[in-house]
Amino acid sequence: MKRSHLLAALVVFILSLLVPAVVQTDYVLQILFRIYLFAALGLAWNLVGGYAGQLSLGHSAYFGAGAYSLALFSGRLGVSPWIAALMGVAVALACALLIGGVSFRLRGPYFVLATIAFAEVLRLIAKNLPEVTGGDVGVQVPALFHGNVNRAFYWAAVGLTAVAFATTVAISRARFGYYLMAIREDEDTALSVGIGAAKNKLAALLISAVLTALAGALYGSLFLYIVPDQVLALDVSNEIAIVAMLGGAGTILGPVVGSVVLESAAELFKNFFKEAHLLIYGVLLVVVVLFLPEGIIGTLGALLRRRALLGGIKASARGVTGD
Amino acid sequence: MFPHLRITNYQLQVHGAGVRLDLYAALQAVINGLLTGALYALIGMGLALIFGVMRIVNFAHGAFMMLGMYATYVLFTRTGVSPYVLFMVAGILLFAAGYVIYFGLLRPIHGQSDFMQILLTLGIGLIATDGVLLVFGADYHQINFPLLGKNLHFGQHLNVNAPWVVSFVIAVVLALTLYLFVMRTMTGRAARAIAQNRYAAPLMGINVFRVQAISFALGVAAAGVAGGLLLPVFYIYPQVGDQFTLKAFVIVVLGGMESIVGAALAGLVLGVVESLTSLYWGNEWALAVDFVIFLLVLSLKPSGIFGRQRA
Repeated sequence: MKRSHLLAALVVFILSLLVPAVVQTDYVLQILFRIYLFAALGLAWNLVGGYAGQLSLGHSAYFGAGAYSLALFSGRLGVSPWIAALMGVAVALACALLIGGVSFRLRGPYFVLATIAFAEVLRLIAKNLPEVTGGDVGVQVPALFHGNVNRAFYWAAVGLTAVAFATTVAISRARFGYYLMAIREDEDTALSVGIGAAKNKLAALLISAVLTALAGALYGSLFLYIVPDQVLALDVSNEIAIVAMLGGAGTILGPVVGSVVLESAAELFKNFFKEAHLLIYGVLLVVVVLFLPEGIIGTLGALLRRRALLGGIKASARGVTGD
Repeated sequence: MFPHLRITNYQLQVHGAGVRLDLYAALQAVINGLLTGALYALIGMGLALIFGVMRIVNFAHGAFMMLGMYATYVLFTRTGVSPYVLFMVAGILLFAAGYVIYFGLLRPIHGQSDFMQILLTLGIGLIATDGVLLVFGADYHQINFPLLGKNLHFGQHLNVNAPWVVSFVIAVVLALTLYLFVMRTMTGRAARAIAQNRYAAPLMGINVFRVQAISFALGVAAAGVAGGLLLPVFYIYPQVGDQFTLKAFVIVVLGGMESIVGAALAGLVLGVVESLTSLYWGNEWALAVDFVIFLLVLSLKPSGIFGRQRA
């Protein structure tokens, strides 16, 4: 990433922070919150699903761990909300160690299935232990912010996205990032040149889980109330993965673009189709796989590269013929 | 060390542990489990054909089962014909749908990574589920016909609901037919040849795409037929298939991937395990136990319980 790109990212970040000065309506702020939240989630997922090429469809586990830890540690044990949110990060790390330890030994569809199974077990535990988790009735989540709540949550989501973005930039330029991409391209070859596949994949998952848990805590705290089928649902995992795949897995900007497109489309669809709004996710998935397998950013990037290449060939051809 | 065991009056009492197991209740649970398990077996065999043999990762399997259920439901409410006839129509419709989906959507991404298939079929499943939701609404429905109230009694203690028995018998017959199709017909042999070596198979004159399309469509039809057979004994709502997708994968992995027979046995086992879990721990834990078994098998014995060790 060039210096001018980083500068542009910084400008966008500052402009994003200034948005609440212009936008005052709670509705719009909440949609923007959702866009940034899922941008952060998509970026977090992208480290594992994009760079390391391990398609996790169980990220609801870390999301739910973050939301439920905040609710339970704070509500039942009386810990202060921010400490409880940090404890949620610890719980998510523990989940990631367990899930990664088992799943990363599996490849292809088996890995995907194992991540789903783990997330489902967590959801069922949350549903079936009402004494602890409140079960299907749900549990109250303490407020992380007071006063102008929507503005505060919006800023928090922008901040989390910025952290996730910076993390992605740092990793994509570091040796660690190249290790992950090598594992994605060919795990056996990566192993044969001495890249510890298990260790690096797990490291990527741990970073991803931290960011996802924080997003889960933010989400739960905004709604003040959570149920298992909301924060631990497979729909959450799917949405996170779709955001990243739509924008372009394994690209820095992809998840952000994916979140803007998907969340805006979903918001429009909600008004038309009511409860059947997941239809848009299905349609987008099919469209992405058939027509944009590298996502929006990936496909655009390929187009630009090809044009640059063609331009270069034409220029050199002109140089040869002399006109 | 061991709690003292004493069997009296067909009741097994475990002193010391304070647990009282009623043999009849357990036996009843096993019977119920086998009845459910036969339908699981059919769904699992369908996925074994699609995923185990053809290596197409089908995340829409439960959605296809749901479509079979809704097709039977719509036909039943319009015509009033018994669902035990209409499930066949549902099977034919789902076969056609599977064939079209294979050539329209799956074949274009042939040769790409598993992840693309997963995302595509996930998308197909979401479209099917939410399409049905859009057309029929989110309400739960249940059909009603005379057979539903009938119970068969065995002795004093055991009884089974008649429609479950009918569904069970049909499912067993269909499972055998599917098995014979895969083992005896030319198409079945060709499918297994592709599973053994997908590069050598076309050299032997096998039309890989046609055989894959037929296998995929058959697997989808098996799920649809199972849906039709579940209709009399189950509530119907758009998300009814969701849990069956994962269950089907659990069954295929338990059964050892390529094995159609393994999937059938694993389906029966899963039915019994769920039923016993419901009896002793409560219905709400059945699905969790499924997944825990699944994770244990994946991490400890990836070749499955009934499968041979893969190279």
